[in-house]
Amino acid sequence: MNGTSLRKATPGRLIAITVTLLVLLSPFLWLLQMSFKTNDQILQFPPPLIFTPTLQNYVSLWHSAFSASFVNSLLSASLSTALALLFGVPAAYALSRWAGRGKHALSFAILVTRMAPPIAFTIPFFLFYRWIGLLDTITGLVLVYTSFNLPLVIWMMQPFFDTIPVSLEEAALVDGARTRTVFTKIVLPMVTPGIAATAILCFLYAWNDFFFALILTRTNARTAPVAVVNFMNYEGWEWGKIAAGGSLVMAPVLIFSLAVRRYLVSGLTAGAVKG
Amino acid sequence: MTESGIDLERRRFIAFALTPSLIVLFAVAVLPAIYLVVTSLTPFQLTTPGSATDFSDPLRNYALLPGDPRFVNSLAVQAKLSVASVLFQVLLGMLLALLLNVPSRFVEFARTFFLIPMVLPPIVVAVIWKLIYAPDISPLYYAAQALHVALPALTSSVDFALTSIIIADTWEWTPFTFLMVLAALQTIPDEYSEAALVDGAGKLQIFWYVTLPFITPILVISGMFRLIDSVKAFPLIFLLTGGGPGTVTEVTNYYAYLLAFDTNEIGYSSAVTVVMLLLVCGISLGLVWMGRRKEALA
Repeated sequence: MNGTSLRKATPGRLIAITVTLLVLLSPFLWLLQMSFKTNDQILQFPPPLIFTPTLQNYVSLWHSAFSASFVNSLLSASLSTALALLFGVPAAYALSRWAGRGKHALSFAILVTRMAPPIAFTIPFFLFYRWIGLLDTITGLVLVYTSFNLPLVIWMMQPFFDTIPVSLEEAALVDGARTRTVFTKIVLPMVTPGIAATAILCFLYAWNDFFFALILTRTNARTAPVAVVNFMNYEGWEWGKIAAGGSLVMAPVLIFSLAVRRYLVSGLTAGAVKG
Repeated sequence: MTESGIDLERRRFIAFALTPSLIVLFAVAVLPAIYLVVTSLTPFQLTTPGSATDFSDPLRNYALLPGDPRFVNSLAVQAKLSVASVLFQVLLGMLLALLLNVPSRFVEFARTFFLIPMVLPPIVVAVIWKLIYAPDISPLYYAAQALHVALPALTSSVDFALTSIIIADTWEWTPFTFLMVLAALQTIPDEYSEAALVDGAGKLQIFWYVTLPFITPILVISGMFRLIDSVKAFPLIFLLTGGGPGTVTEVTNYYAYLLAFDTNEIGYSSAVTVVMLLLVCGISLGLVWMGRRKEALA
């Protein structure tokens, strides 16, 4: 009996997998095809499966206020990612190399800040921003996003630093190098893939946010996810534009997720499974 | 440099690397939490001057909670939503993982696509299901019409509104449990099931006596993770039902949101949020305790 007798990729199973995948993704594909239809085609019955795709929805979106909100999303997500990495990467290294007590308690506390429901932070942030005038600003959003990305960076980067043998650093230290130099010249270059993956996940978490942006912004700093919802309220039921807006908001997410699919697991489960 | 000199310099660097993050975390996580608790002790409303610092009856909000039918109802709705969607997610995720647990290049490639619902922006997931549930454009209603079945407007029906949220939430998060269970399945040595096969066990028996005991811890843990996260469900409810019809889909998180940002009862909303936070912390501690036990067993 061979080693994979029970787990074999039989044709039947491959077909079952393909069918399951298509069923699972059908709601998503429905949105995608709708974004290339005119409103008349969308309301047609029965729905035409073969039609001449139009970019009309995307073009009219690009000439509306939506493009500004897209830029807001890009800005707040990338700036908060940069800040979270700047603070979080050295902290993750320190936690990885620190053998003292309290290390586990600290890691747990960091995880808890990620688990708390966003509304717990929204009320204080809203009141504070209202008081110092940060409501409806990119700066305000960047601060909030950094607050939930920093724990993610620390959590994700620690295992990467754990894999680098301490003996390597000790050799350099004995040769007279300073820890700071060892960190920037020897350790950091070795974890570049980890930093890239972490950066993308941070970007995605900030990009995907809806709740904070809904409450902390009005018009100036409105992000793309909030703008999509606004179509529904103010532009009537323009399904084609709504579908195109949704597709644009998810485009960066899909591209980046494919890029980091190897690290997706640890980032999305945030330490639930080891490895 | 001497041995102790290296040690000292190293310790200094660690402190230097860790301190800024600790300060930032304190400022953006601990301070807001304290402020939230303080606000929950006041009858704070933005329109009432001085109400933010009125501590004359600090426990008033908490005393009101048990007698607030909307709060009690929101807990019940949350419980129904969480339990149903977590059960479905764990069950479907497990089945999916069992289906995809085969060594094949194609399956490995396809696996990434199974994760799409989970990585999509939650608001896009809500838009997708809005399109599915909107009677005049939905493929669901086209199909019903073609079969001459009268389908009620799902998201505005008292009987189906919560179910429609559960379906959308299950779709969004089944990939998560799938991912976790698959990771666990791949650590089971093939020898175990082969030995059982040699002893004459059937496929179902192998699943029941070999596979299931192996993946039970991960089923529980992924379920707990989803349970904690299910408290956060916001975009789906916001876009699909708005908590309605009536308060049929109004979970605690959504009620707290309406209180603070719709009816302006910030003090009371903070009290609701504190209670919710305590519940989440309780589940998190249970999770850590279970993780410890699992490590002790392994």
